[in-house]
Amino acid sequence: MNKTFDRTSSILFALIGALFVAESRNISTSAYGSEVGPNLFPMGLGIILILLSLRLFWETFRYRESVTSAVVLRHKRFLLMLLATVLYAWFLEDIGYVISTFFFLLAGFRLMGSASWWKSAAVALAFSGGVYAVYVHILKGTLPGFPTWLGL
Amino acid sequence: MEALQYLADGFTIALQWHNLVYAFVGVLIGTSVGVLPGIGPMSGVALLLPVTASLTNGLSPEQAAASALILLAGVYYGAMYGGSTTSILLNTPGESSSVVTTLDGYQMARQGRAGAALSIAAIGSFVAGIVALVALVFLAQPLSEVALTFGPAEYFSLMILGLCAVSGLGGKSMTKALIMTVFGLLLATIGIDNVSGVARFTYDIPDLYQGLEFLTIAVGLFALGEVFKTILEADGTEAQLIKVDRILPTKADLKRSAAPIARGSLLGFFIGLLPGAGATLASFFSYIVEKKVSRQPERFGKGAIEGVAAPESANNAASGGAMIPLLTLGIPGSGTTAILMGALLMYNVQPGPLLFSDHPQVAWGLIASMFIGNVMLLILNLPLVKVFAKIIETPPQYLIPLIIAISVFGVYAVQISTFDLMLLIACGVAGYLLAKNDFPLAPLVLGLVLGPMIENNMRRALTTSNGDFLIFLQKPLSAIFLACALLWLVVPMILKLRGRQVVVNEEA
Repeated sequence: MNKTFDRTSSILFALIGALFVAESRNISTSAYGSEVGPNLFPMGLGIILILLSLRLFWETFRYRESVTSAVVLRHKRFLLMLLATVLYAWFLEDIGYVISTFFFLLAGFRLMGSASWWKSAAVALAFSGGVYAVYVHILKGTLPGFPTWLGL
Repeated sequence: MEALQYLADGFTIALQWHNLVYAFVGVLIGTSVGVLPGIGPMSGVALLLPVTASLTNGLSPEQAAASALILLAGVYYGAMYGGSTTSILLNTPGESSSVVTTLDGYQMARQGRAGAALSIAAIGSFVAGIVALVALVFLAQPLSEVALTFGPAEYFSLMILGLCAVSGLGGKSMTKALIMTVFGLLLATIGIDNVSGVARFTYDIPDLYQGLEFLTIAVGLFALGEVFKTILEADGTEAQLIKVDRILPTKADLKRSAAPIARGSLLGFFIGLLPGAGATLASFFSYIVEKKVSRQPERFGKGAIEGVAAPESANNAASGGAMIPLLTLGIPGSGTTAILMGALLMYNVQPGPLLFSDHPQVAWGLIASMFIGNVMLLILNLPLVKVFAKIIETPPQYLIPLIIAISVFGVYAVQISTFDLMLLIACGVAGYLLAKNDFPLAPLVLGLVLGPMIENNMRRALTTSNGDFLIFLQKPLSAIFLACALLWLVVPMILKLRGRQVVVNEEA
């Protein structure tokens, strides 16, 4: 177990609990025809969450830190993939499904260690084009199409 | 015999050609997902949830719900089965319920009996699936009739029991499991309160008025979380795959595994019924039982076929048993059934006692299709074992980005909002971090699904009692449920204090 993470997360969860308690004070305390308002449930849960977080914090003093296994974390690869995913999600609506998915997959395949550009591009194209064709043209679903400035 | 009549109706629904296709596709995808390292039943079902939602677009809501559920349930037990393949061939369990299978399964494979192990796993799963189904058919109706007499107070307490059971067995630390449960319940309060119409915790952000979408969070936590884990931790070394030669088991193998399969199925089914105790516990227990019962316990761990047959039947029977509380009481007992419940709610079908009277097509269609799905699983798996073994060799550099792309596609297709995509990615990161530090994810999803129902029932009960909380203790059934809930939390704690090893149920 990781003490630092457990402590940080217990503080974080306590803060979340406190936030819910504080904010639920702004919600009306009764509903029409009932003494029980919409504030009660979140407030009660917030208090329980704070108590549980305190207990977790207390527990972190009681166990010994276990030795972390020697797995090498590949932070760079992860951050780049995360960045690619965020950019993909962000620009999905602007540049359309096919184009954004193609570039995301191409970048993703290469980041994960695919050796050949051609193979990556072919798989990426097949997936993005295939999903778009099947979903939009056959199943009549909605996905962002091609951007208008392409003139398609 | 009413049940048989309903079952026959269910078969007419499940045998419609499109539903047969859905069952087939579900089982096929499920098995592939189970075989693929890194995606278990839970992430498989979560990943396919939005895809099924878009596939069933054109159907009427009832039919769509039935078809979607048929497909997702197919994925569920397909994945349960597929997980055993990697256990046997690679010594790496595809999901936690197949951990036990590695003990004897891999040894059998090394002795050149991989085919026999795989096929006995398939046969065991099939028998177990059928046992669970027969029990489901006869228990479903009576149980839901009992549940119909429940008032809001009983429901509230029953759901609390469900949550406590899952948290009590939820992982290495009960505190962490409880934190995740409460956090899930809190997340469920975001959005418009559906009793009073008041907006809670929305801060005038339009995306929040509907509440956080269950689907986005489930896909993010399970599917993306596991993908991120693979990206960060995979070392790139390839495991040695054992070749499959002869597929059919010998007569002696069959004879030896008959009794373990029967015991495993029954044990698994009853363990599956209990909320919180899922397939993983079932497989562990049945392995221990077999070892106790066996006349030559020393053979276990060295390639005893009983050690494959019993746990594999038990985990499949448990996943069938887990459907009973879901369908009759509306209370999911595990992460995967919580996701199935989320799927039902997406189609406006409320699982619970009224399911059988309000939506008989959905309920009985699903039950019948589980039967068909099990037959398909057997037909598909025996001859195709070699093909599935090939799936393990899918190059991860293509697989990982494709899973991300499928998650994004699925969530966008249903939600059509960039906000949900960002939430998806955030949940993926959170899911990885939390799971890595022993925060179990299943209780969070369970809390998220059950949250609105618990709150509604609590408030309805309190309204009838004029705000007096004692109503939950004055109703006898409700008091019993609450007492059980308390026991479920206290007993493991006492056992732990006494230094006993408590078997915990990891995600399944």
